[in-house]
Amino acid sequence: MDYTWHFQVVWDYRMVFVRGALVTAQITFWAVVIGLLLGLPLGLMRRSEMRLVRAPAAGFIELFRSTPALVQLVWIYYSLPILTGLQMSSVVSVSIGLGLHAAAYFAEIFRAGVNSIGRGQWDAARAIGMTYSQAMRRIVLPQAVRRMVPPFINEFASLIKLTTLGSALAVDELLHEANNLINNTYRPLEIYTVLAVAFAVLIYPIIFFSQRLEQRWQRGQ
Amino acid sequence: MISARNVRKSFGTHLVLKGIDLDVVKGEVLAIIGPSGSGKSTLLRCMNFLEEYDGGEIWFGDELVGYRKTASGRLVKDSEARVAAIRTRMGMVFQSFNLFPHMTVLENVVEGPRVVQRRKRDEVVAEAKQLLERVGLSAKEDAYPGTLSGGQQQRAAIARALAMRPDVMLFDEPTSALDPELVGEVLDVMKALAADGMTMVVVTHEMSFAREVGDRVMMMDEGNQVEIAEPATIFTNPSHPRTVEFLQRVLR
Ligand SMILES: Nc1ncnc2c1ncn2[C@@H]1O[C@H](COP(=O)(O)OP(=O)(O)OP(=O)(O)O)[C@@H](O)[C@H]1O
Ligand SMILES: [Mg+2]
Repeated sequence: MDYTWHFQVVWDYRMVFVRGALVTAQITFWAVVIGLLLGLPLGLMRRSEMRLVRAPAAGFIELFRSTPALVQLVWIYYSLPILTGLQMSSVVSVSIGLGLHAAAYFAEIFRAGVNSIGRGQWDAARAIGMTYSQAMRRIVLPQAVRRMVPPFINEFASLIKLTTLGSALAVDELLHEANNLINNTYRPLEIYTVLAVAFAVLIYPIIFFSQRLEQRWQRGQ
Repeated sequence: MISARNVRKSFGTHLVLKGIDLDVVKGEVLAIIGPSGSGKSTLLRCMNFLEEYDGGEIWFGDELVGYRKTASGRLVKDSEARVAAIRTRMGMVFQSFNLFPHMTVLENVVEGPRVVQRRKRDEVVAEAKQLLERVGLSAKEDAYPGTLSGGQQQRAAIARALAMRPDVMLFDEPTSALDPELVGEVLDVMKALAADGMTMVVVTHEMSFAREVGDRVMMMDEGNQVEIAEPATIFTNPSHPRTVEFLQRVLR
């Protein structure tokens, strides 16, 4: 084994990584926004006592949890334009696809968080005359959110990694940019090494932050 | 103040309240006793509609609790806002305290008046501090519930309920979850409340409390109201064999 590493090549093309990272960040951002906007109501709907409200939410959530994300993205990329009549770029379609994917997982995180707050808290809130929405906002959610943060951060980190699926649809995110670079430079080892480091740099701070937050809340209790 | 008329309630096929009739008058302390599973908590929870009863009527003053009569005399479920409004006038204290753990003791007490009644902050805080002093918790205003003893938590929960200025207080075994040495401090607060003229319905296993503080005692068994009478009568001369048996068991 006398492989000579040439990281100089990577340095020469550093802007390619920065560009890729920005696209990755952009997709993640929109996926999280869509995921939260859809996931919270979906999670609430799934807790409903009305079957007509509950069933569609459950169907959506289970469909997205039981199929591979890559299949979802490819399906949305090819069929969404046909269904909606809108032509959309692959970045937009991947953002939407991951957004729907995230919504299913966020909905479950949200539901589990709310369910983890015992009946006694609801009783106490109702007994002082709170309505459902007051009890939810003032009593249940503030407690549930603390329990939702760790799984939410997990899902966030996994979304960042899932953006690499965009390369299958020729989205210029980090992995795709790296593959292009390899075709030009023939330095796969260096480039994949830096790619791995780039993801770690993106993701680790988030995990670190969430752990600190958890510790703080634990001390607060 | 509270009247129950033939109140029935079932969970699935299990009939838990089999027609309860009851009048609680203003200023009265009614103690409810009976074996585990006899429906005491369920009856109490029906009074403020935390549990929906499915037969009969419960009246709070001149208002029907949880339902509204249509022109044809049928009962339909009342709006959430109306039910919530009725609840603000009935305080409830739970066996397991159920304080809001993410708020300090003072915030717990202030929450209802502020958020539900939308009263002014200064006024509410001043009143909350008075209430906490009354239950002996002035020093714990800024503590979180998790750091308090059971007895302190229950006293804070009583203050939280009183902060709504309720007309009636409902207690569901307020001392059952407490270590024996902490029971006294909670009962003392309740006695003081009764002496002040508060109308109270108290589900309890503390027979001495029922006897001393209760104006009347109601014995329940298997969803039935077995008898209701003054404590002297219930404890010295019970008329029903189930009451005799129950009291023999709990008083040894
Ligand atoms: N949410 C519920 N769902 C189904 N059954 C219930 C529910 N709550 C109570 N029950 C049942 O109703 C019956 C009466 O319960 P309840 O809690 O009113 O009794 P209790 O007299 O308060 O007993 P305890 O002294 O143990 O508190 C019991 O058989 C109980 O299992
Ligand atoms: Mg009970």
